[in-house]
Amino acid sequence: MMQFTETPPQPLHQIVTTPFSPNLSIMNKNLTQRTRPWPGFPTSSKLTNFGDANCMEQLLVHCANAIETNDATLAQQILWVLNNIAPPDGDSNQRLTCAFLRALIARAARSGSLKLLAAMNAAEANLAIHTHKFSVIELAGFIDLTPWHRFGFTAANAAILEAVEGYSVIHIVDLSLTHCMQIPTLVDAIASRQDVLTNPPLLKLTVAGTTEDVPPMLDLSYEELGSKLVNFARSRNIILEFRVIPSSYTDGFANLIEQLRLQNLVYPESGHEALVINCHMMLHYIPEETFQNFEPCSSSSTSITTSSTSLRTMFLKAVRGLDPTVVVLVDEDADLTSNDLVGRLRSAFNYLWIPYDTVDTFLPRGSKQRQWYEADVCWKIENVIAYEGFQRVERLEPKSRWVQRMRSAGFRSVSFGEEAVNEVKTMLDEHAAGWGLKREEEDLVLTWKGHNVVFATAWMPA
Amino acid sequence: MGDLDNSSSLVGSTASGEATFSEAPAKKKRNLPGMPDPEAEVIALSPKTLMATNRFVCEICNKGFQRDQNLQLHRRGHNLPWKLRQRTTTEVRKRVYVCPEASCVHHNPTRALGDLTGIKKHFCRKHGEKKWKCERCSKKYAVQSDWKAHMKTCGTREYKCDCGTLFSRRDSFITHRAFCDALAEESAKAQTLGSSQLGNPNPNPAKAVVVASPPPPPLTPSNNVVSPALSIQSSEFPENPVGLSPPPPATTCLTTTTTAISTTATTTTSTGNCSNSSSSVFASIFAPSSTVSQTLAAANSSSFSNLVSSTAIPSVSAMEPTSLSLSTSLYLSNNGSSLFPTSDQQDHRHYTTTPQAPAMSATALLQKAAQMGAGASSGSFLRGFGLSTSSSPPQPQDSSATLQWNNNHHSQHKRDASGGAASTVAAGLGLEGASTVLLTDLMMGPPLPFGNHHQPMTRDLLGLGIGGNGGGGGASSAGLSALLNSFGGGGGSFATYAARGGESSWESAQERKPNGAKGPALL
Repeated sequence: MMQFTETPPQPLHQIVTTPFSPNLSIMNKNLTQRTRPWPGFPTSSKLTNFGDANCMEQLLVHCANAIETNDATLAQQILWVLNNIAPPDGDSNQRLTCAFLRALIARAARSGSLKLLAAMNAAEANLAIHTHKFSVIELAGFIDLTPWHRFGFTAANAAILEAVEGYSVIHIVDLSLTHCMQIPTLVDAIASRQDVLTNPPLLKLTVAGTTEDVPPMLDLSYEELGSKLVNFARSRNIILEFRVIPSSYTDGFANLIEQLRLQNLVYPESGHEALVINCHMMLHYIPEETFQNFEPCSSSSTSITTSSTSLRTMFLKAVRGLDPTVVVLVDEDADLTSNDLVGRLRSAFNYLWIPYDTVDTFLPRGSKQRQWYEADVCWKIENVIAYEGFQRVERLEPKSRWVQRMRSAGFRSVSFGEEAVNEVKTMLDEHAAGWGLKREEEDLVLTWKGHNVVFATAWMPA
Repeated sequence: MGDLDNSSSLVGSTASGEATFSEAPAKKKRNLPGMPDPEAEVIALSPKTLMATNRFVCEICNKGFQRDQNLQLHRRGHNLPWKLRQRTTTEVRKRVYVCPEASCVHHNPTRALGDLTGIKKHFCRKHGEKKWKCERCSKKYAVQSDWKAHMKTCGTREYKCDCGTLFSRRDSFITHRAFCDALAEESAKAQTLGSSQLGNPNPNPAKAVVVASPPPPPLTPSNNVVSPALSIQSSEFPENPVGLSPPPPATTCLTTTTTAISTTATTTTSTGNCSNSSSSVFASIFAPSSTVSQTLAAANSSSFSNLVSSTAIPSVSAMEPTSLSLSTSLYLSNNGSSLFPTSDQQDHRHYTTTPQAPAMSATALLQKAAQMGAGASSGSFLRGFGLSTSSSPPQPQDSSATLQWNNNHHSQHKRDASGGAASTVAAGLGLEGASTVLLTDLMMGPPLPFGNHHQPMTRDLLGLGIGGNGGGGGASSAGLSALLNSFGGGGGSFATYAARGGESSWESAQERKPNGAKGPALL
């Protein structure tokens, strides 16, 4: 009785046979592998295995090149092809490609170099991405869906908790993309500490009221947000002072730094006050371009120094000048700083597939939240691809470069304790199986299917 | 990064297309689940065999077994011939299993899973019925072991906010709780004294320092217990021993912090309720610099948003007659305004006022068009590329919307409504056939010469995407007309316009062109 039906491995593509009748295949969204040898494309088994992502990336690269070289014809042809193989409701790779496609169209339209594309974009005025303005409750639920942010929250909270042990005043400067969503759990953790019973610390929370709109966007003012947090802290027997300092990443939070410095002057005896700088996916918005010698005549010495300095570096130096108790730096582990469009496109494509790939594990197709989620990713892609100069704000840097920056700013890295690791692991257990935790030297890295997603690092003045 | 190196060499080298195409970046592959050893033996089981629990049945007593080996052992008892399979060391070949569901990624042998249990569970979870239900929380599971695992934890960690929302995780609950109005309402009830203080509107909300500090906490510890803290601390935080009675020292601490609050409060409101010396220092330091920076920031942001709105979101200005936005004005200046007579803009305005179609994109349109097939697709494709922007509905969300739009459109141009689909085809055809000049103008732009610009790569791409589109004359070999052909192929590939009678629609295209393109310049 032979129960196992053993079949020979099927051919990789069932549709291999008719190389010159792809008109059906173009229409067929389910067709994942291309049959006809693509001129000049590698047709190795590698490509056929991963055909889609690689092929789409190649197409996008060529399209970007065509747009950059003003080759309207080629650009449109590729766009046309891409458009047919990458429906916005397709699989994760197709949706990813679709977002890049839109970004490229937007770029072409913005640069105005390709008139036809520009016209097309105008005709499709609603190409504009509609990012959702979250209510605070929506945002809380939204961020809770995936470890993308929660990983950083959990790791950072553990590190902060450890560092502020014994301080009676804890001053937290929250530079976070997520509008203080990390704070409740931090307040709760502080309130749950044993020593709180006898000596609850005073919490000061300072946030930068950024004026720019970067998703996720909140439909609540920071003042209202603050009053909710204060209220919550009180319910946990913690006194919280909340303060908004209008300050923006565009100038490296200069105003915030200034205010903190002044406060240090006013309270020089701040030995009993812990200063925590919590940077959650925010610092990569600070411009990283190094300054040109824009004032060569002012003084020869300064021009030399500024020529190799960026706002990003200056910000870190300024933070170091505040002599913080701990700095937690959490950010996405990718490099989107290249000045070259194609380079950026490639590295964005090879990073931002992750949000598309993960979303299936926590949001059903067609759900509102999923639309919001993907619109935010789209926004990111468009910012990376279609914008240049100071408007291009999504300038991720990989962990290695941040580590370098922190070291040269005068910080030494602090290891995350076992407790932090356990907390993160427990948190990851609550999510899909693809998420993982990696320890790299002192740091923690969130991974998806083995690929780095977000890193968390903790720093103290060296 | 290797990627970067590659890309830099790619820039500006499109002219030599072949060379760049062959550059395959050696990059790390995504680690997809199920990437078996290609040497492994691929086993495909039918859903029935896969799910059968006792597949090996004894012919004598009908007893079923999960494994053949067990059946063989059983057969011994009936004195039947039996044979245990020997494991021969030479024949140990790795086996992988594919999912019987044809639409599943694991149906493909290249994504087969490594063990039988794995594929069983996969099949159950992904394609099976979820028949194991948790009675407590109504979650359903397809695999019993999943359900068992859930049953161990369900209910043990459950948090309920007063707003009625349930949470299984403490973190989620805490975050929600902090921002939920339920908490604010409770504390408002519990602390009427404080609320009056809170009610004071901040006289200058734009000030730099905003302290949304709480009213001083209740003075008596017992009062505190009644406060919303109760709801959190009692049942929901069993592990938190903070409990019901804050210890006496807390009170003293509270009073001190109260003053701390009020000092900052003065800095914000400048009402000067609290005459504390340090606070005035604070205020004087804070106020001026921060306001300056705030205006700066505001200026920044407004200019930023202006830029954005003027470039990326033309619909913002869509109410004005010049609604075609930046890109169109560019268009106009280069091609002569005759391309876009005013009626055209009215069309756009008409569209923008229709409520349909948020989000999505050109691509969505094209995609939809491709799905709808036929002439509509070819038309919308062409229109998508701006060739007849005047009549393009940017975003037909559903067929009825499109229809409605078409009707409007046609009535505007006094057309026969029944010609709807045909006229879109006609637009496409007309472009293909007659408006070479237009195409060169539009697509190439002045700086690009028409004839010698088509490189082999163009044709390659055409060949891939368009050229092979069956009959419609899609395969373009003539370099000069590659462009035209590409569009022709595009129309033809969607193909059904031929079925509608290419000739007649062609003619109608010719006839209608003055209307359809809305400008003699097009001819």
